[in-house]
Amino acid sequence: MVAKFLKKILLIDLLIGLWVTLKYTFKPKVTFQYPERAKPTRRRFRGILRLYRNEQGQPLCIACKMCQRACPENCFDIEGAKDADNKMRPTRFNWILERCTFCGLCVEACPTGAIRFSHEFRLSTLDRRNLSFAMDQMYYDFDLQEHLQGELVNP
Amino acid sequence: MAFKEIELNMGPQHPSTHGVLRLKLAVDNEVVLRVEPVVGYLHRGIEKLCEHHTYFQITPYTDRLDYFAATQNNLAYLLAVEKLAGIEVPKRGQYIRVILAELQRLASHLAWIGFNANDIGAMSVLLYGFAEREGILEIFEEYIGARLTIHSLRIGGVPHDLDAKIISMILAALDSIPARLKDIEMLLSDNRIWKHRTQGVGVIPADEALALGLTGPALRAAGVRWDIRKNIPYSSYEDFDFDVPLGTNSDVYDRYLVRLEEIRQSVRIIRQAIAKLPGGESRATVPKILKIPAGEVFHSIEAPKGELGFYIQANGSEKPERVKIKVPSFINLQSLERMCRGYLIADVVAILGSLDIVLGEIDK
Amino acid sequence: MSSTLLYEFIIPLLKVAVVAIYPMLMVIVMIWLERRVVAWIQSRIGPNRVGFQGVLQPFADAIKLFFKENIMQCGADRFIFNVAPVIVLWSALLAFTFVPLGGTMQIGTYNLNFWVAESPVGLLLILGISAISVFGIIFGGWASNSKYPLLGGLRSVVQILSYEIPTGLAVLSVVFFSESMNMIDIVKKQQEMGVWFAFILPVSLIIFWISAVAETNRCPFDLPEGESELVAGFHTEYSGLKFGYFFMAEYAHMVLLSSVVVVLFFGGWLPPFPNVRFLSFLHKVPGFIWYFVKIMFFLYFYIWIRGTFPRYRFDELIKLAWKWLVPLSLLNVMLIALIKVL
Repeated sequence: MVAKFLKKILLIDLLIGLWVTLKYTFKPKVTFQYPERAKPTRRRFRGILRLYRNEQGQPLCIACKMCQRACPENCFDIEGAKDADNKMRPTRFNWILERCTFCGLCVEACPTGAIRFSHEFRLSTLDRRNLSFAMDQMYYDFDLQEHLQGELVNP
Repeated sequence: MAFKEIELNMGPQHPSTHGVLRLKLAVDNEVVLRVEPVVGYLHRGIEKLCEHHTYFQITPYTDRLDYFAATQNNLAYLLAVEKLAGIEVPKRGQYIRVILAELQRLASHLAWIGFNANDIGAMSVLLYGFAEREGILEIFEEYIGARLTIHSLRIGGVPHDLDAKIISMILAALDSIPARLKDIEMLLSDNRIWKHRTQGVGVIPADEALALGLTGPALRAAGVRWDIRKNIPYSSYEDFDFDVPLGTNSDVYDRYLVRLEEIRQSVRIIRQAIAKLPGGESRATVPKILKIPAGEVFHSIEAPKGELGFYIQANGSEKPERVKIKVPSFINLQSLERMCRGYLIADVVAILGSLDIVLGEIDK
Repeated sequence: MSSTLLYEFIIPLLKVAVVAIYPMLMVIVMIWLERRVVAWIQSRIGPNRVGFQGVLQPFADAIKLFFKENIMQCGADRFIFNVAPVIVLWSALLAFTFVPLGGTMQIGTYNLNFWVAESPVGLLLILGISAISVFGIIFGGWASNSKYPLLGGLRSVVQILSYEIPTGLAVLSVVFFSESMNMIDIVKKQQEMGVWFAFILPVSLIIFWISAVAETNRCPFDLPEGESELVAGFHTEYSGLKFGYFFMAEYAHMVLLSSVVVVLFFGGWLPPFPNVRFLSFLHKVPGFIWYFVKIMFFLYFYIWIRGTFPRYRFDELIKLAWKWLVPLSLLNVMLIALIKVL
């Protein structure tokens, strides 16, 4: 009883609270100074979708349209035809970044691993038309930052 | 005795209504007489969208209901679909689902403590809760690549298996939680200001709580022992040993204590699941095009906010006929008026915080 | 230049200029300090990009406020609406004339006093002038012609007036010891007694400090301007530089009350243990440096409290004042009087 009364009078609970925040004032801080230092992305990070090629430089996509069927948002517009080696290749592969929810159903549906997530997350742009990609803009070696933010850097 | 009634509007843009919620309060000088919530500012038509997408495609939409605990929504939906289609999830898949779902419950409760404390004034607790949550979001980024709306479960199981790196990350995150909880408790639980603000505020008796359909930690704080994980176990919850914390006074303080204890119990469940992880497949083989014959099912789970249920009506094609989502926050919001009657305006903020609503759920 | 012109005209004018600028400088320091310290408590860094370590951030805030639109309510009383922020800021600055910023320094043959004015009732004048700010708050709340500011303004006024009483009584106990209300004499008495009043009168210090936090509407007593509750209380409808005035006035009041605490309880410009010969080297450091160091501690303490505690609900706040602080301070005064008599 006496201890409880003393605790109340001497404001012990308030002092304990002050002690906790004092401890945190001197602990290392958890924030990053972006953009000088960015948090490294993890291996399965879902950046923007990119099309990939195999070791010989041939595109992996065989225009089976499984990704188009899997996508909930109708982001894809694909058409394919057989090329000179009698292999199916896409002739048109339009993709709309604006509609993509990064759910990953297309990546799981693709049988050849042609379309995969990259680690690029800096996807802002000033012009909405930059958010629709044609086939030659979909490959992983396309300069994405120039496409999205080119007019900011070189007006 | 005549009194003048003022109508006060805590508008859709307010720092303390968790999302875009409009509350029309009728106050008599400071005492609240009536509370009328106006919802619908975040309506996105999820139920209608579900009728035009296949069962696989609906799963990412369910993430966006309660965006603080995305996996729990996935789990509720997938359990309903698997019940309807008769798909059996392998044991390993069920255990991994439990681990992911309980991690999300931790994340949701940590965010809740932060927001509730911030509304009542202790702004540092918000940042402490989120710093802890960061560890959990990193686990999900390593596992599936996203942090908030993660789409981390699939029909029939889980997309990836847990490897050693992810398990070590999970154990590291669990190890740092008790210290952080102790800091938050030292700041809040005995603090006289916190107790003044939360004890005796927002009391609702147990029978009225049941009559209004209140579920989740708020119901357990009223003393009613109802936790779907114990009463109607799903996804192997019967294999784990955990307690269900109950409160006695059914006020804001008890809801806070119940949720703190639930965090500890979740940590217990995850540790048991990792220790007892069975071998085998983590995902059942499901046809690429899933057509479910006509039928209907309702299945509910214990989400962090309460009882989340999915009613699905199938018609033989690969798209459902109707999906109806029973969300806990919408039903819990009904009891806000009963809880707020007779208290002051400053208490409305505390009570609304203790109900733990998410507008994404309410408005679907 | 004759010495009379210098000593009796120019130097007092300079002193008045310093006393007018000094609180504003402290406001600038406070804005930066508050944001950094609250950030450190929350495990983050705080603004550190504008200028070296963010010291130009207050200027950035001021420039931003300057460019905001000046919104006038449609039913507002224009004159009172505009005059309210001025009253609140002005009363804080005026009270600084009686606050001693340091001791007496010898420059050649002239004794430079670090205060503008000395009055036998200096303490009373300070408390009285700072209480004029209540008018500014009630003007702001009424003239806004809107529900939220009115409620906030009324609450703020009740809070300030309720906490004036424990303040006065706590101060009274100090006056018992120093036998004078002159701020300079209070410090001289502490020097004479060789110990700061904080060690003799700890209860008065705590009562005064709690009332000081409540008087300036700071957390945990900031429900009238509660961010999560009544949006922003009595200064909801103010935008741009007028809001900046209220902001600055709050910090100026904080500096004023910290100064009063330091002078009354912590020896003003005296180093610790002023009479101990062993530590007399501490006297080499000029008085105003000691004063400044002590003020910074109390300002840090204000910010530390803000980052830690939840907010009191309004009825709890008033109950605290009337049911706990007033009887306690009365008891304190009676005990001190008894001790003094015996």
